[in-house]
Amino acid sequence: MFDSVALSAAVVAGDPDKVKAETASLLEAGVPPKDIIEQGLIPAMDVVGEKFQEGEVFIPDLLFSARAMSEALATLRPLLSEEETAASGRVVLGTVKGDVHDIGKKLVGMMLEGAGFEVTDLGTDVAPSAFVEAVKEKRPHIVGLSALLTTTMGQMKNTIDALVESGLRDDLKVMIGGAAVSEEYATQIGADAHGPDATVAVELARKFMAELGA
Amino acid sequence: MRSNYQVQATVGLSVLSQDQREELHLAAIHCLENTGCKVDEPEALELLREAGVHEVSPGHVLIPGSLVEEALRRAPPAVTLHTRLGDPTVRLEGHRVYFGTGSDCPYILDPDTGERRRFTWDDVGAAMRLCDALENMDFVMSLGLVSDAPPAVSDRRQFEAMLLNTVKPIVFTAHDRAGMRDIMAMAAAARGGPEVLEREPSICLYAEPSTPLQHTRTAVEKLLEAADHRLPVIYTPCPIAGATAPASPAGCLVVGIAENLSGLVMHQLKRPGAPFIFGGVISIMDMRTSILSYGAPELSLFSAALTDMAHYYRLPMFSTAGCSDSKLVDEQAAIEATMSVLMAALSGANLIHDTGFLEAAICGSMEMVVLSDEVIAAAKRILGGVPMGEDDLALDVIKEVGPGGDFLAHEHTRRHFRRNFRPRLIDRRNYEAWAKRGEGRMSDRLNARVKEILAEHRPEPVSAEAKREIETILGRAGKAAGSQGVGGG
Repeated sequence: MFDSVALSAAVVAGDPDKVKAETASLLEAGVPPKDIIEQGLIPAMDVVGEKFQEGEVFIPDLLFSARAMSEALATLRPLLSEEETAASGRVVLGTVKGDVHDIGKKLVGMMLEGAGFEVTDLGTDVAPSAFVEAVKEKRPHIVGLSALLTTTMGQMKNTIDALVESGLRDDLKVMIGGAAVSEEYATQIGADAHGPDATVAVELARKFMAELGA
Repeated sequence: MRSNYQVQATVGLSVLSQDQREELHLAAIHCLENTGCKVDEPEALELLREAGVHEVSPGHVLIPGSLVEEALRRAPPAVTLHTRLGDPTVRLEGHRVYFGTGSDCPYILDPDTGERRRFTWDDVGAAMRLCDALENMDFVMSLGLVSDAPPAVSDRRQFEAMLLNTVKPIVFTAHDRAGMRDIMAMAAAARGGPEVLEREPSICLYAEPSTPLQHTRTAVEKLLEAADHRLPVIYTPCPIAGATAPASPAGCLVVGIAENLSGLVMHQLKRPGAPFIFGGVISIMDMRTSILSYGAPELSLFSAALTDMAHYYRLPMFSTAGCSDSKLVDEQAAIEATMSVLMAALSGANLIHDTGFLEAAICGSMEMVVLSDEVIAAAKRILGGVPMGEDDLALDVIKEVGPGGDFLAHEHTRRHFRRNFRPRLIDRRNYEAWAKRGEGRMSDRLNARVKEILAEHRPEPVSAEAKREIETILGRAGKAAGSQGVGGG
């Protein structure tokens, strides 16, 4: 155990420079990178998460903290052993083909990074084949699909089908989000869950990691 | 006889001074000239290139202010919508205010069971019959999404439900250009031909750019199609302050204005003088729940400011009111609907939509439509102001009645009291009378009124010939779509 108070305060304040400085000094003091992440940064984000639930901080504050955290993570990840790196959750996100709406997806991505996940955001108007390629390349634990419109949500099914066809579906979890979709729709198209908002998405992601035994 | 006497005939508000309007306009031009926008539709890009925009990278264009000024000069300041029977009831110009429902909610609160369930084709029909009967609904949007039609043709089926169940002007949505064409054909069949429809439109397209500053292929296709047929079109941004637009009100407005203006430029390049309706659904992202808030006071404020800009531009204005983030038709819904209805009316927006929306546009409620209808009637009374004729000042009446007298049975009272707001569902009885009637809460009365209208009101049907034509169009669309999976749920 080490003194994580200063690090925690910097994360809660959403101050990337302080977070980096604290991280550097902890490394210098010989604290293992894995410990800094698991006993310092992630608990700090949990504190931020609690304050958010209480209404003490809001989404922009959360995102500043998440960004400070992920900048620190970026410096720590290269220092982790291969085995330690493999343990962090990997997520691929995208807005499906034909849809350019992405504000919800961006929010989910930023909050997942704040929770310690490695997130690859494919952007918008992402064809099923592009999702398949990204999954082959990144080997994510979780794929997140976003669509706002009822005219594009059908692409969620096409994307899941493409993952099935490529033999990739069974090794990962799929969650969907967007104003027009629902739990019912998720079940219908063979997704694992529906996230009605970004905080639920993070909870789901954690749950998925436990289920995948990762 | 006298001279130089000025009267404020109606009540209103404005949020922006003339200088502020000019400043926002210049800021929007600056935005278009320096940040520009992305356009993903080839015909529009060609038109823009020919007109002399600077292309930063393929599809990313900077639009010069001169193109905007030209488009503003050409766009008509007035658009009139007609009923299905040809009456020019909705004059979108100046500060004339008209109200209607919103469109495309996935869910409904069932008026019989209170259950929250998927919106169906039958529900759209019922909502339209309701609006057809309500005095203060001047136009309609679908209120809900037809979830029980094949996704590829759900837009046509949705329009069908609207066309058959009300004569009031219809603002419609369409999946794409093909959907639009079928819908226009259906409307033309009910009006007696496409020429009549073009000359005296009873329908208006609703389409949207994607904030910030993106014009997608499908949206622009629809925009240009509307221009081509001189079909009134609302091409309306949805800037969410703090998320897809700046969190400051002025910054949020700049993005919304810039999107409107860039849409107008493309539209007017396609067909100068075609009817275009300015506006938006403009509000904040709630930073606890991440929703676009439909009940926020910011919605009313930003909409009123955007309305001031529409007046500055001399374009009809599409605004938003009568909606709520509440999940039920409760006190919150009433607060939020009332604030936005009154603000929209006072601001002088022309085509004010989204009455009946709950749950930040996820759930439509017929009781909420009726609630809004009542609030609109009250708002209209406020708009009426204080008339100042001799009879209004009533000096002779006051003299006649004298100190300590009463005005109850006076002829003057009989003449004037009828101009007061007449509550239909709002209750003013004393306690005993109210308790005896047993109609308790406003929500009960709203529900009863919905049921009453649906049981009694029969809208003017379309002709048998038109109905046949409509069915042919739907049949053809169904065949063309086959079993293609567009949409879902």
